[in-house]
Amino acid sequence: MATITAPAPARRTAHPRPATTRRRRKIQDNLTGHAFLIGAVGCFALFMWYPMIRGVVMSFQHSRRGVTSWVGWDNYIRIVNDPSFWTAWRNTFHFTGLALVLGFVLPFVVAILLNEFRHAKGYLRVLVYLPVMLPPASALYLFKYYAYDPSEAGLFNALLRAAHLPTSEWMQSPTMTMPAMVIASTWMNMGGAVLIYLAALQNIPGDLYEAAELDGAGLVKRIWHVTIPQTRLILALLAMTQIVATMQLFIEPLILANGAGTQDSATSVAYLIYQHGFFQNDLNGAAALGVIMLVVLGAFSAVYLRLSTRQDR
Amino acid sequence: MSVPQYRRVAALALVTGLGLSLAACSTKSEDDGGTDAAGKVTITVDCQPVAAQKELLQNWNADVTEFQKQNPDIAIKSVSVGQQCNNPPDFTARLAGGTTTDVFYGYMTDLQQVLDSGQALDITRYVTKDTVPTWDSVDPALKVVFTDGGKLYGVPVKNYSMGLVYNKALFQRAGLDVENPPKTWPEVREAAKRIAALGDGVAGYSEYSAGNTGGWHFTSLLYSQGGTVLSEDGKKATFNSPEGRQVLQNLKDMRYGDDSMGSRQLLQWGDLLTNAAAGKVGMFIGAPDTTQAIVSQFKGRFSDWAVAPLPGQTGLAKGTLGGGEGYFFKKDLTPEQVRAGLKWIAYQKLTPGKGQFDYVRAKPQNYPVGLPQPLLFANGSEAQKQEFDLRKANANVPVENFALFENNQLPIKGEPRNAQAIYAVLDSAMSGVLTDPNAQVDALLKTAEEKVGQLLAAGS
Amino acid sequence: MSRTLISHAQLQRGRGRAVYWALLAVVVTAFTLVFLGPLYWMVTGALKSGREIAQIPPTLFPRDPEFGNYVDAWTQLNLGKLLFNTFYYAAGAVLFQLVLDTAAAYALSKLRPVLGNVILGAMLATLMIPAMVLIVPQYQTVISLPLLDISLIDSPFAIWLPTVANAFNIFLLKRFFDSIPEEIMAAALMDGASPLRTLRSILLPMSRPILGVVSIFAMTAVWKDFLWPLLVMPHPQTRTVSVGIYAFAGGTPQNVVVAASVIAAAPTVVLFLIFQRNIMSGLTTGGLKG
Repeated sequence: MATITAPAPARRTAHPRPATTRRRRKIQDNLTGHAFLIGAVGCFALFMWYPMIRGVVMSFQHSRRGVTSWVGWDNYIRIVNDPSFWTAWRNTFHFTGLALVLGFVLPFVVAILLNEFRHAKGYLRVLVYLPVMLPPASALYLFKYYAYDPSEAGLFNALLRAAHLPTSEWMQSPTMTMPAMVIASTWMNMGGAVLIYLAALQNIPGDLYEAAELDGAGLVKRIWHVTIPQTRLILALLAMTQIVATMQLFIEPLILANGAGTQDSATSVAYLIYQHGFFQNDLNGAAALGVIMLVVLGAFSAVYLRLSTRQDR
Repeated sequence: MSVPQYRRVAALALVTGLGLSLAACSTKSEDDGGTDAAGKVTITVDCQPVAAQKELLQNWNADVTEFQKQNPDIAIKSVSVGQQCNNPPDFTARLAGGTTTDVFYGYMTDLQQVLDSGQALDITRYVTKDTVPTWDSVDPALKVVFTDGGKLYGVPVKNYSMGLVYNKALFQRAGLDVENPPKTWPEVREAAKRIAALGDGVAGYSEYSAGNTGGWHFTSLLYSQGGTVLSEDGKKATFNSPEGRQVLQNLKDMRYGDDSMGSRQLLQWGDLLTNAAAGKVGMFIGAPDTTQAIVSQFKGRFSDWAVAPLPGQTGLAKGTLGGGEGYFFKKDLTPEQVRAGLKWIAYQKLTPGKGQFDYVRAKPQNYPVGLPQPLLFANGSEAQKQEFDLRKANANVPVENFALFENNQLPIKGEPRNAQAIYAVLDSAMSGVLTDPNAQVDALLKTAEEKVGQLLAAGS
Repeated sequence: MSRTLISHAQLQRGRGRAVYWALLAVVVTAFTLVFLGPLYWMVTGALKSGREIAQIPPTLFPRDPEFGNYVDAWTQLNLGKLLFNTFYYAAGAVLFQLVLDTAAAYALSKLRPVLGNVILGAMLATLMIPAMVLIVPQYQTVISLPLLDISLIDSPFAIWLPTVANAFNIFLLKRFFDSIPEEIMAAALMDGASPLRTLRSILLPMSRPILGVVSIFAMTAVWKDFLWPLLVMPHPQTRTVSVGIYAFAGGTPQNVVVAASVIAAAPTVVLFLIFQRNIMSGLTTGGLKG
């Protein structure tokens, strides 16, 4: 590893070479190129490409007491027949949908707002990004113990009470589980998205707004016809990564809802993978669920990419 | 060095760089057989108490020092894995990853899982009077739990059965008779109502519903009604029964009929004990040693707590859940390591007057002595008598707090096969009835029955 | 400053000006409450006794601050060790990614060996694969590396090496290198400089911003990760701070857990506040260039 920073002896190769030397040179260049690649490629091979294959293989096997046998679709049948299977998917989509509304739109609005301010901008930016700096467990225990306490000793209920609004049992209420997790998750994570949007907004040429205004476009129209088209690529990219990230909902149910929540109201697909793999000692079933998730997200990504590239034309 | 040569070297360096860094960590998995040049046998043992359990940790460390002094050829390396020595997913991960300690802690219900993982060592021929002097006194029923196919895989170190744990101070404040705790679930309900009426966020009765502990307590409540979780052959779920419905109905009535269970639900192990230590819980079911945890870990007051036998629907419980803990041995240990591990367990866990039975040491500590636990030795055996006398002589807790429990021994039933996976399913029945005022008891049980059916069919 | 959505002039005029200041005041107040409020609640909440936490309605200031909760948290959870572990893993991840990913991006961008595009494609394809999907086979791989049969459990390499397989960072770096004119490279190569030297003395100095961004990404990824370290770093001595708090939360009084959360959060929050200018400008300018 030290080779990269080690001083390299430079030599001048001024003379033209014969053809064989050129071919050797070419091979040489290729070797060098691959030498630079090998470290990263090795890691990809070991921790990405190989596990992909292994995951598929595992999903058709069953291992017990050191004996591994092929079992066809058994793992898949068992997983799909698990009554929590559909609940988990429903919950995951529910979370993803809510997170899109809150975690995707809200940072954009915040970024637009911040971009307009001439004062206190640095302060606000720091504030928004601050929660990103907390370890996720820290932030979630804060929500779990202090904000979402189902009695009126909890912060949220105390505030609701003070405002004469109905209180909620939060994580204990099947209907509030998902919104509560989305709120915590958005608070923790939105800083990153806000910064990216801010950067994108700053790259919009000012004369576009100028021209739009001269055309008589109002505030909303300017956002619609200038801001959004100008940041469309970033928006599309972030929407995509956001969806893929939220589909992997795990630590929120684990900490906030002690796992499954009330009657599976918090069970996510990712948590189900963990439950099968490590609570029920069924790694093969967990691998099968992983493959199912891969297929679903792969299909989603393909459709999404197709749609977003078609719009480009 | 010419340029091409230099490049080749650079390429090689990059290739080997990764390889070397991988090789560097392989030293971690080196296996020296646990015996060093001086002939010293080293073993790692888990479930060392955590720092929060100050006295327990001190005692453990003192035991290690003393044991090593007596056995200069053995070195014990203690590992503390967390507040709960066996948190199911972590335990599974340790088994799958082969990262358990040489001698590792597990529940009685873990034997099948440990065997499935291929990590267990058959220790039948090592367990003798030489390695474990009190072995003949150990309750044979406990040995059976750690035996599979005639082979012994673990050594029991704790055995408990559940009762009704109640807070005497709250009982008094609510005007209830401390000497005469509830004997039936309807009486529990009445008492809970009166305790909850004290207000101030006090729950009359508290119950688990998350992290597998809900299913665990459901099982105990079910046994108290005379029900069973699985059929005899272990192939069918049998908890969707009148008894099972009664369990959930009782809870539902208390939670939503009387509002006597507090508003905070989805509790798991430590949550309930934290509330109890804060004086916010009137009654819950548990083994007598939960009162130890309340005192040593959660800063509660020991004198507040008493234990009664588990209630049933019409009289005392028809049965109570018994469980326990033991130590397994990792498969690749040398015979010397196994013997060293057994000696250590024998010293720390199975010798009256030593280790966990060192009541003289525990008496002045903030650690209760006198609990009818951990029933390890067979009735009438030599070790049992010794242990009993020591306990009585050094008791620092009012023994009458546990007299009711001790004088009413109920039939003890073990946990179902595949317990942890089933508990995970039953959690949702418990959380349903405790958090949803409109929960349908029948529907909850039916769903759980289906799920357990699939679990059993999968045979995992 | 260039013009944004609303023109500068408009904000200077009477009504626009009033609206601007009112909005600013509202946003500043709201943000302070929303983002600092919970942190205040956390720091002071950890000072309350178990009884005070359960009190209705909650108190704004702790009545008898129990500083002992922080002491308990520090000693009982062994937080010093946990924090050290986390920083150690994060620093290693940054180093590994800077070295290996930069080398790879350089090769893909400038050296372009045969099959380079195929490799790039195979790397980028992993962007579509959420980490959760591979968690089980990755875990199996770490338990026993193929061919070598080495277990990386409890070894920091189990965190460092998988972070190198980060297609997003390689892509960022490659895009940045792509934007560096070919002529500069060609000139250096004509001069006889080896690829390594070109990378070191020409490319890297120009790429400081992007390297900063990649470092921040690498750092936060390790900092925020939970399930992976939970699985591959199970030993109490090797846990990360998030996993450590989680492992102890079940059997530790709430206020101690929250005190531990505060202590765990403090170092990064302080670092962030000190370096926020650099981090912010790095993230906003570097991240999207090229």
